[in-house]
Amino acid sequence: MAEPRSEGSLVRYYCTYGKGMEPFLIDEVKRKLAAEDVCQISGKVLFSSSAGIDRVSELKAAERLFLLLKKDSPVLLPAHTNQAKASSVLQSRVLGDKDQWSSAVMTWSRLQGELSGRRRTTVKSQSTALGFTRKTGEEGRGSEELKRGLVERGGQTCGAEAQTLEKKRKRDEGGNENAEDQRTSERDRKRHCEEERMGLSICKQNGKKGIISETDLCGTGSVCDHATSGLQEGSGRNVDNTAEDLTVQKVEHGTTTEGRDETLLQPSLIKPEPPSPAAVTFRISCKCTGSLSRYYSQQEVSRVIGVGLSRLMGWKADLKTPQLEVNIYLSDDNCLVGFPLTRLPLANRSYIKTTGLRSTVAWAMASLAQIQPGFCVVDPMCGVGTILIEAAQEHQDVCFLGMDIDDGQLKKANENVEFAELENRMHLLKASSMTLPLPSSTVDAVVCDLPFGRKVLCIGGTLVLLLSPQLSCVLKKLLAQKDTGPTSNQEAKPGKQDCPSPSLSSTKQQTSQIQQGVKSPPTQETKAPSGLQHSPPPPLSSLKHQATLRLSLGAIDGLLHKYVKMDT
Amino acid sequence: MKLLTHNMLTSHVKGVTKGYPLLIKATEVKVNEVEFNPQFVSRMIPKLEWSALVQAADELGHRQDLPVELVPEYEKNEEFLKKVHRVLLEVEVIEGCLRCPESGREFPISRGIPNMLLNDDEV
Repeated sequence: MAEPRSEGSLVRYYCTYGKGMEPFLIDEVKRKLAAEDVCQISGKVLFSSSAGIDRVSELKAAERLFLLLKKDSPVLLPAHTNQAKASSVLQSRVLGDKDQWSSAVMTWSRLQGELSGRRRTTVKSQSTALGFTRKTGEEGRGSEELKRGLVERGGQTCGAEAQTLEKKRKRDEGGNENAEDQRTSERDRKRHCEEERMGLSICKQNGKKGIISETDLCGTGSVCDHATSGLQEGSGRNVDNTAEDLTVQKVEHGTTTEGRDETLLQPSLIKPEPPSPAAVTFRISCKCTGSLSRYYSQQEVSRVIGVGLSRLMGWKADLKTPQLEVNIYLSDDNCLVGFPLTRLPLANRSYIKTTGLRSTVAWAMASLAQIQPGFCVVDPMCGVGTILIEAAQEHQDVCFLGMDIDDGQLKKANENVEFAELENRMHLLKASSMTLPLPSSTVDAVVCDLPFGRKVLCIGGTLVLLLSPQLSCVLKKLLAQKDTGPTSNQEAKPGKQDCPSPSLSSTKQQTSQIQQGVKSPPTQETKAPSGLQHSPPPPLSSLKHQATLRLSLGAIDGLLHKYVKMDT
Repeated sequence: MKLLTHNMLTSHVKGVTKGYPLLIKATEVKVNEVEFNPQFVSRMIPKLEWSALVQAADELGHRQDLPVELVPEYEKNEEFLKKVHRVLLEVEVIEGCLRCPESGREFPISRGIPNMLLNDDEV
């Protein structure tokens, strides 16, 4: 039996990312987490790191973070196989070893505990509510209990456990022997009960400010205490549910009798608490491509694996409010199984109040600017300030100046600055990007999300940008990366040095020091052939590069980029 | 508007050759405590127009005893850095205006945000 991985040991994770973000993400995990065995498969970056979960969960370029349970060779079904055989192959190949699951869930719950602990600490520091500390203590203990429970449970032999479960299941079904269908209906009924309980749990949770449901599991240890000590003797309503919990209790402690079982769920109805630790409720989220998807629908795969997992681990499926989500990716290239570690995508920044540009993209732009201590960084069209806020999160000793011409945007930007507590290094101005109220050669980097004419451009419309050679390169690269990116935002990182007198330019920033030889910053011209102006703002990816023409502007060359907006 | 921002602002009204430093006419000034970060202040000092900072602090009555000339080896002088920190980041003009020294054009400051927008005929 594997021990729960202790703090500081290597944990294998994977992250999803928006298209084009992979080089940023790979670089980031190596740089910030000293990640090992970094590899990229089917839209995910896999890596191992011994960094604390708090740091891992602060990755900026990633969308979602998962604990990797396994990465395996693809599941291939033999040709012309029957349904039963195929299900069995699928189950054994995807599920595999029981210990692997036990150990992964232990790691997962430890990480969850650490994450929620951290979250609570944050809340606590802002809250003066009495009783909060007590609660924290309880949950901390709960987490311990859970771990212990899982260890004990994992220590049981497979055979004994399976037997118990099987017995239990039969009893629950009241002698009905129709295995497969039966289990489904059982699940449905349980789900119904579960919902009831969850409903109550939610009511209770209203009292716990700022604690997200994913921490539920941590609180379960104490329930376990109550339950096993049999403090509450109630009548046997909701027996099914009781039975399932009890099964687990029984396996865990080996002492609970069936007679007691039925009284045990009562407390959770009267005093709703999350279910017992070992009785993990789960949901399968499956993504299936390639040959397997021609044989099975994703729902079918999820169901088959869900049934198998229930049987293997004695867990309960719960489609609505599971404690654990199991993500499975099956393709012709590999088989990947993992558990999400956070409920919200990492891209949802806790420090941003009003979001503008997608935070990951904003972060990538800021990272391209290679900001150094002592820099002055300007965003001449800052909007709500997303790019600068992302940059300011990473750089302490840098002055950030955001400008916009719109009062509404500036107001929101100001709120964002206050919310992120960046008042000391991020400042705002109302000014036009055409005449920046700054002296020459005072700015080290410019980051800017050009409006890109996206709001006025219709499908098939043309966008022409006049760019300096350097800017053109940067833009081309970004567009190539973002080719079909789903990240739904326009972006560019024109390191444009706004120089009222172009002969003076800063020499500090190579990547972003690009002189605009022409009077205006990247000139945009939009043509809408049919004059139609509809459709929501399209992502950058909807701009298809059509042509690049090099033109002389006198002293320097400029490049015309022509883009056509595609229907996405 | 903090004086760090003010130190960078220039008027680019048409015809103006030296729209710097802008004169501050404040009607409301606030002093907020901001966490002291000596590295940040040391990093910013070389970027500052020192005389403009001293003048601005003076205009707002918050000069303390900041010297006319930047002191040598200020990186190691925490007391000095604290004073600069206070002037740069803690003193904030909430309402008032900035006046171009050359053209006399006034840029309003409202709710702490200076409005540097120019009219079409001023560009």
